[in-house]
Amino acid sequence: MAIEGMAAIGAAAAVGIAAIATAYTQAKIGAAGVGALAEDDSLFGQVLVLTVIPETMVIFGLVVALIIAGFI
Amino acid sequence: MTKISVTGSKNQLETVITDLHDMGLMDIEEYNGEDLNTGEPFEEAEELSKTLVHLRSLLSKLPDVENSGKTKSLEKVQEQCAELEERVEEIEREKERLESSIDNTKEILKTLKNLKGIELDFEDLKGTETLETFIGKIDTEKLKKESSYKYFDIFEGKYASAIVYRPDEEFENLITSHTKDKINLPQLSHKGSIKSLIQDKKNDLEELKDKKSSEASKLDEISKKWKSGIESSERFLAEKVERAEAPLKFATTEKAFIVEGWVPSEKFEEVQEVLHESTEGKIHIEEEEGDNPPVEHDNPSIVQPFESLTDLMSVPKYNEIDPSIVILLTFPALFGFMIGDAGYGLTSFLVFLAGYKMVPAAQDIFKSLMWASFFTVLFGLAFGDAFGYVIFGDHHNALYALTGWNFLTEIPILFHRAEHLGQVLPVAAAFGVFHINLGYLIGFYNEFTNHGFVEAFLEKGSWVMLEVSAVVGYLYGAVLGVPLGLISVALLYKGEGIEGVVEIPSLVSNILSYLRIFGVAVAAVALAKVVNGLAAPLFEMGTMVGIIGGTAILIFGHTFNTFIKIMEGFLQGIRLHYVEMFGKFYEGGGKKYAPFGASSS
Repeated sequence: MAIEGMAAIGAAAAVGIAAIATAYTQAKIGAAGVGALAEDDSLFGQVLVLTVIPETMVIFGLVVALIIAGFI
Repeated sequence: MTKISVTGSKNQLETVITDLHDMGLMDIEEYNGEDLNTGEPFEEAEELSKTLVHLRSLLSKLPDVENSGKTKSLEKVQEQCAELEERVEEIEREKERLESSIDNTKEILKTLKNLKGIELDFEDLKGTETLETFIGKIDTEKLKKESSYKYFDIFEGKYASAIVYRPDEEFENLITSHTKDKINLPQLSHKGSIKSLIQDKKNDLEELKDKKSSEASKLDEISKKWKSGIESSERFLAEKVERAEAPLKFATTEKAFIVEGWVPSEKFEEVQEVLHESTEGKIHIEEEEGDNPPVEHDNPSIVQPFESLTDLMSVPKYNEIDPSIVILLTFPALFGFMIGDAGYGLTSFLVFLAGYKMVPAAQDIFKSLMWASFFTVLFGLAFGDAFGYVIFGDHHNALYALTGWNFLTEIPILFHRAEHLGQVLPVAAAFGVFHINLGYLIGFYNEFTNHGFVEAFLEKGSWVMLEVSAVVGYLYGAVLGVPLGLISVALLYKGEGIEGVVEIPSLVSNILSYLRIFGVAVAAVALAKVVNGLAAPLFEMGTMVGIIGGTAILIFGHTFNTFIKIMEGFLQGIRLHYVEMFGKFYEGGGKKYAPFGASSS
């Protein structure tokens, strides 16, 4: 297979797998967060912050993909 | 804020409470020491709260109706309360009974519908002294083939069959083995066919439903007559109860009382004056020392809608900068830059306007979001984008092609985002560096005012120095960069301890996190183009059907996109503030200033 093709697959894997990881953690944190909110809705800000922390992973994936694809 | 204490003899207690309540300025701190007793609520408190509980339970049961009658006097409401409650309860009980009958009838109907098509009377299905019946979803063909038993007859229906047979254990087992679902007959007696029974039950169901809705309309009628009266009485009583229970927060002895709380410093004299006047100087007011005062936002009106976004995260502490103004400065612009489309700017504005009108509790947040829409339009105009179409410039100008207005081609596109998405990346990173350093700067100021310059430099300045050393290292080589970096790490260690050093990689990840601006921008452009791309072939057909179909796709697609983009723009925009930026300076956890009596004014 041409090297560009492999690179494209690599880039896709970088975003895709990172996104799966983010989704998995976010689902767990989100579920716990909603539980906390049901008890005390003033926690909204803190819960939001905790929930979005794993998003950084998929951004890393995006950066790696952009580098592989020669965008950066 | 100034902490004050008010001391006096008990016979002034009521006057003081009434005054404090009317002024609505003092945030009373509950007494929870051990040396003195907390005060007793006024005598009427118990009676009042009892009435209040009844009124509230009534209110929760009465449905919302338009035009809910005139306000009634409190006496009349109190007089009628018990009777109304009884009536409402009776109606509710009847409704519940009807509901369970309805469920029951529905269940029976479901079973009976399975029996459709079986040409037998209902009573026959029950079997007789010498004959048994079996009803269910039976594979009758197989049964007939495999059975050597003669004394049975099959009545097939649409969904199920009934078998009438002379009792025989072996045959019974055979039936069971060919049956998917056995149907148990409902406990009923009915002379006539199954069809007529189903009709009967359907009629019953209608009748029950009618009865239920007539009960509901009875409730509506009560609501129409009484609801607003009860509501106003509830408010009035709640206020009275708040006043009557205020002594619970006071510290008392046998003859005297003392209460502590916070008033805004500039109102201190006013409070003093009013209290002295009404008690003829028979009380003593003193300024106290205390920590952890309550906070109230103090911002010009343009910043005020953004306070709710700050409070959503956490109420600021008393002695730190209120970051609402920072949110005003960067959040709408960030939202606007990410979505960057004049069309979506307008549609999202309409959505927020609707939210503003319909959800009074969240008006401030919607107001702040309208700013975000405004910036979306601005950036959209700069990018020459509306709903993914190019509207300015002489290149692929869709709006010009549609209207033929020449001036549209003469307006220059300041930055053609859709074509130069690659350039959004450095813009996003640069904004990240700016935003995070703005955070450090505010953190520096907070530390500076609270702990002095040295502390501020060690805790926040060292971070900026670390960034500078990275730039120096990149520009002038490691010889200069590394020592400078080591110095800043040493300073950081001194300022924040090992936690600070461990946090260093997060600086990189925080800045990288701003690349999501690029990600959302790509998605924003692509989503709009996808919708337009779907509609384009339909328009090209040129027929009436094509144009109608294309328009439908555009309307549905762009409405969908509007909501997606609002969600993305809001969540991503606000999280960059909450996590990446606020993390650099914001402590939060303050207590909101909630003066006694202000809620009822």
